[in-house]
Amino acid sequence: MISLDKITKSFGTSNAVSDVSFSVPEGSFLVLLGPSGCGKSTMLRMLAGLDQPTSGKMRFGDTLVADGQAGLSLPPADRNAGLVFQSYALWPHMTVAGNIEWPLKVARLPTEERRARVLEAMEMLGIEKLANRYPGEISGGQQQRVALARMIAPRPKVMLFDEPLSNLDATLRVEMRFELLKVHAATGATAVYVTHDQVEAMTMATHVAVMNNGRIEQFDAPDRLLAEPASAFVAGFVGTPAANLIPIENGRWFGTMPDPLLRDHSGHAMVRAEQIELADENDPRTFEAVLAEVVPMAGRFLITGIAHGIRITAVSDQVARRSGRLRFRLPSAPAAIFDKQGTRIS
Amino acid sequence: MTTLLGPIGSALNKRGLTLIMALVLVVLVAAPLATILVQTFYPSGAAWGDVLASRLSQNLFWRPTINTMIIGLGVAAGCVLLGGFLAWLVVMTDIPGRTAIAFMATLPFMIPSFATALAWGTVFRNGRVGGGGGLLEGLGFAVPDWLSWGMTPTIIVLIAHYYALAFTVIAAALATVNGDLVEAAQMTGASRKRILFGIVLPVVTPAIIAGGSLAFAGAVSNFAAPALLGLPVRMQTLSTRLFGMIEIGQTERGYVLAILLIGISAIFLGLGNRMLSGRRSFATIGGKGAKRRRFALGGARMPLTIVAWAICILTTILPILLLVAASLAPSSFALFSDWTLHYWIGDADPAFARGQPGIFHNPQLLSALTTTLILGASVALAANIIGILIAVALTRQKVPVLSNLVSQLSFLPMLLPGIAFAAAYIALYGAPIGPLPALYGTKLLLALALTAAMLPFAVQTGRATVSQISGDIDEAARMTGAGFFRRLGAITLPLAARGLAAGLLITFVNVIGDLAITILLYTPTSPLLAVLSYSYASDGFHQFANAVTLVILIISMLATGAATLLRGRRRQSFT
Repeated sequence: MISLDKITKSFGTSNAVSDVSFSVPEGSFLVLLGPSGCGKSTMLRMLAGLDQPTSGKMRFGDTLVADGQAGLSLPPADRNAGLVFQSYALWPHMTVAGNIEWPLKVARLPTEERRARVLEAMEMLGIEKLANRYPGEISGGQQQRVALARMIAPRPKVMLFDEPLSNLDATLRVEMRFELLKVHAATGATAVYVTHDQVEAMTMATHVAVMNNGRIEQFDAPDRLLAEPASAFVAGFVGTPAANLIPIENGRWFGTMPDPLLRDHSGHAMVRAEQIELADENDPRTFEAVLAEVVPMAGRFLITGIAHGIRITAVSDQVARRSGRLRFRLPSAPAAIFDKQGTRIS
Repeated sequence: MTTLLGPIGSALNKRGLTLIMALVLVVLVAAPLATILVQTFYPSGAAWGDVLASRLSQNLFWRPTINTMIIGLGVAAGCVLLGGFLAWLVVMTDIPGRTAIAFMATLPFMIPSFATALAWGTVFRNGRVGGGGGLLEGLGFAVPDWLSWGMTPTIIVLIAHYYALAFTVIAAALATVNGDLVEAAQMTGASRKRILFGIVLPVVTPAIIAGGSLAFAGAVSNFAAPALLGLPVRMQTLSTRLFGMIEIGQTERGYVLAILLIGISAIFLGLGNRMLSGRRSFATIGGKGAKRRRFALGGARMPLTIVAWAICILTTILPILLLVAASLAPSSFALFSDWTLHYWIGDADPAFARGQPGIFHNPQLLSALTTTLILGASVALAANIIGILIAVALTRQKVPVLSNLVSQLSFLPMLLPGIAFAAAYIALYGAPIGPLPALYGTKLLLALALTAAMLPFAVQTGRATVSQISGDIDEAARMTGAGFFRRLGAITLPLAARGLAAGLLITFVNVIGDLAITILLYTPTSPLLAVLSYSYASDGFHQFANAVTLVILIISMLATGAATLLRGRRRQSFT
């Protein structure tokens, strides 16, 4: 439903977004995931029509909404898209109902229809009781719901979210994640969601585009990102805990432990936490680490130690000895090997 | 919490400081106001009848009030238009040189209004009231009276002085609107006009009202501009009328006018406040903030740039340049020829300026200069020390009723027109109180009144300082076991010193530029610079008045510049 063809956005001489292409079917939930400054918000603003691509084409369904070379960019209102801002951007001088209704007034819907839509949107988010309150009088979580209701009331085909949960506390965040998915399912619209939080991406997305330095590192389903990361960057960014990236030098772990399985490669080997075991005795596949932290999780323990200056995390059923040192055992084979540039080799 | 002040704190017990500050405020603020009210009723309330309902009241009260209201409303409207226009340009559009315009637009408030009024005279004065015409007449134009004197020039000069207030308030509000709120509206497909009227203006309305009511209160209280531009043609406002009544010894009538002036100013500030607090809190949640998208001015860019710069230059640099030229030119008709330093350093010469020596040979000037500097420094020091103590009392001790009283009284002078406040001081301290001698005509009375008038600002500076003392930073130092004085020397003072010094300097600038309070309370034997400038001007010695005003301006600019440097680049930025 949304398809991008070689979209590039330059500010002066630098590219905020370079050569991005992908497409997602109608009704999907696409998450643009990446660290701050990776270009994901610029992507979203171009989808919204608030920024124009420097080059490349962007389509919503069969409609060409932006064409960089031709200088074409449909204004936001003609794209049938809604945007939820990180700051919520509620108009402070209008009540909750007024905020939801204003876009409908601009779209010249008849009064009856407007009233019904406002009510419907408020009911979907459980905020009917707040109808006559002002944004300054309600809590952050409630403001978030109002922003969502305002976005869905015009029934957009594309819903855009700019880090909408980053201003909420942890409990509310989990609650609103569920709320967002509910709204997405109920409307059947295509969602594009920007975040730097990989947990949000993993729990909500049907498709994830991992972005770094204005480029897409990998475009895939969430489980594929975990199973088959395309680059060292992706491997280190997703997963709870993220996989260990152990430096390798000429076929040696940490440059010191030779292993024929590494086949003389240099770069990083990906080893998942569950592949690393705690060892009691010294043997050629074990190495020593200084205990850093132990995190209980779902009945097991994440045990992190520091070896050769990097953090290594293992999953274990038993608590590590409380002494300062422990031994980790390497698996028989790494899950993946990346070269020095971070590209996957095997 | 008394540990904060260490030994001092323990000596003053839990509510001692608040109690002392409450007493200080009663003496400085409440007592004069109560006295002026009482004296108009006791022994007889006849003055009220004279002012409000007698054959005199038309001239005493009604006409001045109508003039005052016209000036207040005109200035408020003009300030909102001018300040709002500049704020819109600086915050919302792609006009070049935004930072410079924003800086220039805050300057006029630093220039005393009598300086701007005098500068107006150098150009537009006509010969009608003697003392020679201005530049325009010199060029052969016949300047009509309405442009030389009275209402029109008063309003224009006051707008040029007060629009900086409206600019600051409106620009700050616009800065919060820009970005997400507007983009959220753009997403709906609303037109530019609809966004302006549906979103931007309503959100900024409280700021417009606040800016307008501040300008109104400033304009109705102003003494210098209507006195210099209105009195020569007998246009009276409440403040000039009040001054006149006290000058000629009809003090009771003057007091009644003072109370009425306070009332008018308070009603409008109160109305503004009410409209503000009736609205919902417009604080918006911070996000990462969209990149500021500026409204492209297109073809209007150059013309609007020129207009903006013209406004800034006309209200800041040009008046100063005109004053410089007018203090050097022997003929007020030709400001830019035959320049002489006579008015600055010349000896008395019967052939020149009716024998007046240059200002630096005028013994009065030198004494006025020292008095002004000493007065400015001592008032700044006193007001800021009291300000800090009040701030400490308010944040450290929560005494029911008393804390509230201290907070309210310390901000009350902000609502009081300076000249009415000065009248209240005469009412209370003009006569001996018990064993205490009458203070009228002493520098002490002047210092007390100015200190009280500067308190609102000083308390604000004090609060900012105390918040640094009491915050996490101080607690972090306490955790190390450092004692009160150790923390004061190593943490608090280094942190607060710049802000405090800047606060002192700004208070100092406000004191030396004040005319409304000093005109009623100065001591005839040793006048102040502002008063000297005013009396030169009212005697028709314009060159001398301009020169003295320039001396004030130079001192003000040095102090303001130093304060800006001390504050570093923490000045509010809208761009």
